[in-house]
Amino acid sequence: MTLPPPTRLMTAACVLALAALALIVWSLFDPRPVPVIAAMSVGQVLGTLSFGAFLLVVVRDLRAEYMRVDAASKGAKHGTRQEP
Amino acid sequence: MRVVVQFSGLRRRGTLTPLHASPLTVIAVGCAIVSASILVGYLVLRPAWTRGTKTALFLGLGVFPITAAMAGNVEGFEGTKKREFCGACHVMALHREDSDDGTSTSLSARHARNKLFGDENCYACHADYGMFGTVLTKMGGMRHVWLYYTEYRTTPMAEAKEKIHLLQPFPNENCTQCHSTDPMLWQKVPDHRASLQDLRADRISCASAGCHGYAHPNFRPHPAESTTPAPRGAP
Repeated sequence: MTLPPPTRLMTAACVLALAALALIVWSLFDPRPVPVIAAMSVGQVLGTLSFGAFLLVVVRDLRAEYMRVDAASKGAKHGTRQEP
Repeated sequence: MRVVVQFSGLRRRGTLTPLHASPLTVIAVGCAIVSASILVGYLVLRPAWTRGTKTALFLGLGVFPITAAMAGNVEGFEGTKKREFCGACHVMALHREDSDDGTSTSLSARHARNKLFGDENCYACHADYGMFGTVLTKMGGMRHVWLYYTEYRTTPMAEAKEKIHLLQPFPNENCTQCHSTDPMLWQKVPDHRASLQDLRADRISCASAGCHGYAHPNFRPHPAESTTPAPRGAP
């Protein structure tokens, strides 16, 4: 499965988080059944998804960095062996 | 200790509803504002993906929203116990108005004037006090919301008064949580003594026409109970 590029994921994460925050604040200013239930259900899901997207980008970033360092160190080893 | 400060009002459907600013509300709103500022800043400025950006986004997508959600959840949960919340649906308006009425002598109004119940008198009397009581009470509340939005939202009050009734007979256990049947003072009343076993077995109800009267003036008893009209303000 191909993941969207990090910039798009981060944009989605920010938008989802803003929507979740809007629901939470709405429930605080208008504590009627629908806003409260929406904040405690939809708001939680959106917030969790946004944080998950952020973590995904960070993990992907770390993995890419690890692979880059790993490839560089392997290249350096090969370079040493080839020396006479 | 719960500190409540009324700092402004919100006009809703022609009535001025006070907006309560508890410390948790302030924390939740504050965190939401900080978080939203970070996120909007990121969306507008699109800074480079550096360690500083990651830290700021960790705060904006993790720490502050989670704090806002936790504070908001606790505040929301506490808000669901309030009479204002229960009375938000129009079919409950008569019950709410009766509880708000300082001159009413109905059971619910008298409990509302008691500091131990106050503006949480609906929840205090209708909550399930079993082991999973809070969860069961909330599930029951969700059912009420569902029924309201699927069946009763457009029902006129006159019709709602006739149709809406308790799902099950009101359990005496909810009364005896506070009004214990053990003390001598309680057992000194001859009617109490005579009906003790029936009362503990829920065969008769404390809040019935023959005893302390129905809790609400417009109350419709469960079909299994007597349909005798409740005397308003029965002792």
